[in-house]
Amino acid sequence: MINMENMVICRCEEVTYGELLSTAKEHKCTARELKLRTRAGMGFCGGRTCRVSVDKIIENTVPNASAGDILLKYQPPVRPVTFGSVGENQ
Amino acid sequence: MSDVIVIGAGPAGLAGAIASASNGLSVTVLDEFIKPGGRLLGQLHQEPSGEWWNGMKESERLFLEANNLSVDIRCGVSVYNLEKDENLWNVHTNIGTLTARYVLVATGAAEYPVPVPGWTLPGVMSIGAAQVMTNVHRVQVGKKGIIIGANILSFAILNELQLAGINVDRIILPEKNSISGKAGEPEEVLKTLLHAAHLAPSPLMRFGSHFMKNNWLRKMAIHFYPKSGMKVNGTPLQLRIAAVEIVGKEQVEGVKVANTDAAGQVIPGTEVLYEADFVCIAGGLYPLAELAAVAGCPFEYIPELGGHVPCHSETMETPLGGLFVAGNITGIESGKISMAQGTIAGIAIANHAGKVSSTIDQQLQQAVQQVRSVREQATIQFNPEIDKGRSKMKEIWETKFAPLDKEYSHKKIV
Repeated sequence: MINMENMVICRCEEVTYGELLSTAKEHKCTARELKLRTRAGMGFCGGRTCRVSVDKIIENTVPNASAGDILLKYQPPVRPVTFGSVGENQ
Repeated sequence: MSDVIVIGAGPAGLAGAIASASNGLSVTVLDEFIKPGGRLLGQLHQEPSGEWWNGMKESERLFLEANNLSVDIRCGVSVYNLEKDENLWNVHTNIGTLTARYVLVATGAAEYPVPVPGWTLPGVMSIGAAQVMTNVHRVQVGKKGIIIGANILSFAILNELQLAGINVDRIILPEKNSISGKAGEPEEVLKTLLHAAHLAPSPLMRFGSHFMKNNWLRKMAIHFYPKSGMKVNGTPLQLRIAAVEIVGKEQVEGVKVANTDAAGQVIPGTEVLYEADFVCIAGGLYPLAELAAVAGCPFEYIPELGGHVPCHSETMETPLGGLFVAGNITGIESGKISMAQGTIAGIAIANHAGKVSSTIDQQLQQAVQQVRSVREQATIQFNPEIDKGRSKMKEIWETKFAPLDKEYSHKKIV
């Protein structure tokens, strides 16, 4: 049976809700730190799927940790691309 | 090299391309999808006036108009980076790097899911995916579905699925947790639905919306809300039922649900299984602003607009020279607003490029007024406090960025 605890949140890196929640509670950290500690949002899709979930976990468990800034920053390439297309020989 | 590169061929991007091209600029439009139109392609609904909004037709109209103005529209192109080099913007794509003095980022919005145990099973999709499969690809998503999440987006798409003859068995809420938050609280959900009540096409949302504005009555309404739900166009909306787990071996076979109290807490021992072969999760939309972010544009967190949005003026310019935004990247609203914003951006770009015709100031004024009047007449508002969000951004622009712009006093729109 799948319960809330073992439900996958970051599908690329297979990080569970339980793992994210306990890490957030233990370290009372920012969304960025939560990402770095668990790898949630660091996979193939670039966090498109779980970014909002990771932000919300922090918003609801660590009050005032996330204010105006984008904490989970965006980095190029914002789409999956081949090495060939970003390299010298494009 | 074009004068302008527009990223996104949805309502905002196409309208922007048309406005720039009509003012004498050469324009290239890039889009990731196989055909232009963006999210217009999936939209089909009847306005309270009785008129039908057919997004597919609207996108065809925009495409033809752009084509007549020799706009170069390239589909199937993904932009993965955006950066400025001296005076030119470099737009990095899977077909190489394109350059232009002006870039309009009109990338729209993305959906966010509300994860439910079992949501990784085949047969579970976002509500927007069900819309695209149904109205764009004409693929039947399944025989019997359940929607998890009650909001304006899920109601609109429910209606489209019904029009296509797809059986949606019921709408239920996600279980309350640290991610679902208010989307899992019956009273909060009722409150947001009632906010839209006077605008909503559905009888349920109109039902009692007046007296339900009262807090005490709303609490009573939730307390006595029937377990079997109230019907929205024939589909039960069950605010006191939460999805506990989506079950199935190889694919979706059903959803295990439980009754909840008025605050959304699951009542133990009330679990039952509803059969279904597809499940749509309706979380919501957020501005898809990743390209503006990698370009280095300053952002502001404005919940009424749907989250983090790039700072922009009422004429759609960002603090970065030559970079403009329009559409849902600036805040979640309807396609009509996106089009009107695109028009502003297109004219503003022509203005910056020095294509000064005698009418350009007037055009710009009219375009800004147009957005305001479309907003006033909107039938559906994703966020009831959209005006507040727009005012916040305007104020931020006027205090933080406008003073840095020497020409601003000439460009101010009143």
